[in-house]
Amino acid sequence: MPSSDSDGPDDLRRWRLPRGRHGLPREIVERSQRERLLAAVVRVTVSKGYEATTVADILGEAGVGRESFYEIFDDKLDCMLAAHEVLIEDLEEQVRVAYATAGPWPGRMREALATTLRWFAADPEVARFTFVELSTVGPAFRSIFQADYARFTELLDEGLNEEDPSPALTQATKLAVGAILARIYEEVVLGRAEDLPHLLPDLTYNLLVPFVGEEAARAEQEAARSASE
Amino acid sequence: MPPDIGDRTQRERVVDAMVESCAEKTYAATTITDIVGRARISRTTFYKHFPDKRACFDAAIDHCLAELRGAAAAAHSPADRPADAARKAAGAVLDAMAERPGLAQLLSGDAIAVDPAVVERYRRATIPALEALWSANGGVPSPHMDPRLAFGQAQVLLLDQIATGKSDRLPELLPELVYLTVSPFGGHEEALHQSKLAGAGEASGAVKR
Repeated sequence: MPSSDSDGPDDLRRWRLPRGRHGLPREIVERSQRERLLAAVVRVTVSKGYEATTVADILGEAGVGRESFYEIFDDKLDCMLAAHEVLIEDLEEQVRVAYATAGPWPGRMREALATTLRWFAADPEVARFTFVELSTVGPAFRSIFQADYARFTELLDEGLNEEDPSPALTQATKLAVGAILARIYEEVVLGRAEDLPHLLPDLTYNLLVPFVGEEAARAEQEAARSASE
Repeated sequence: MPPDIGDRTQRERVVDAMVESCAEKTYAATTITDIVGRARISRTTFYKHFPDKRACFDAAIDHCLAELRGAAAAAHSPADRPADAARKAAGAVLDAMAERPGLAQLLSGDAIAVDPAVVERYRRATIPALEALWSANGGVPSPHMDPRLAFGQAQVLLLDQIATGKSDRLPELLPELVYLTVSPFGGHEEALHQSKLAGAGEASGAVKR
């Protein structure tokens, strides 16, 4: 996972404090507990399913006590949503950086897409958590979905400058984000998250057509293909 | 009333109750108690028709698909050009969903949450019907865009509109939905053209209303 952010999913997976007497300040212990719980809720819900997961399962996986859990989170759902927030912030940050690279807009768009695909491919558990488990939490899923969709649509819109292609459809950026979500969902469900980067050329084409037409999008598809070879 | 008719309407009431409950609170939060309450039947009667909540959900999906397929088929005639037929079908599906937001919720959000196989079933009901419009005059069309992806994009747009609480404003999605319906086999230019037609039609329709 290409992350250097200390709140990033990398740390969620790896950061463990030694058990027992380590003499660390209380706030660091709590921070570590929170991160261990977030990492645990991802692993446990992906392996057992959200509904079957109990707080006890999460505690066991994280090696954190019940009392500490309830000091940090209200319940299982709260913990799950917090994990999602940390993950999605990391993704957004990385996509923002990739999208801000120099050069013409279609190339920047391709970079943003490539980063997204690599991010999910690097951690299939996180991909499954995001695309499958979260959708089963009930009504709360609607607001998560809506917020995430709006977040990435805005990100694309903000980077679309006046000199860039203006799409003939009013909601073209929404279509683009929708295409990414739909395509990743399909692969994740089939257990093929690791192969996501292979989708780059074809998905680049599909994203760009509404903005630049079929011919120009085809050229970008070829560029993406030769870049990955 | 003959008993079999009573039976059938009872089953329909159960399916309707499932659709409405999913629209209100999603499948995950729906209980058998919700369904029997809405359908005004006993728990025993529910289990006479369905072994469990999931079986009832599957029946509800079939019901929604049949309803939308009917709406789409009635919206166009064999005389229409493929792209025109696709535009009309997309409009009819959207209108049917706007009238009963439960259809949209069931087929977008809940289908994803409950079982990806349901999404696949829905997709298999949609894409060949679309392809058939373009192959009516012989010859299988070669796609300009991936129809599976266009289907997924439409689903995401619908889900977003519902998640935002704008299920009564589903027809606002018409230009995008028409674009997604036409572009796989009709190509980008034709899809844009149809999308504009649909947008203009929708605007004048709104004035008339």
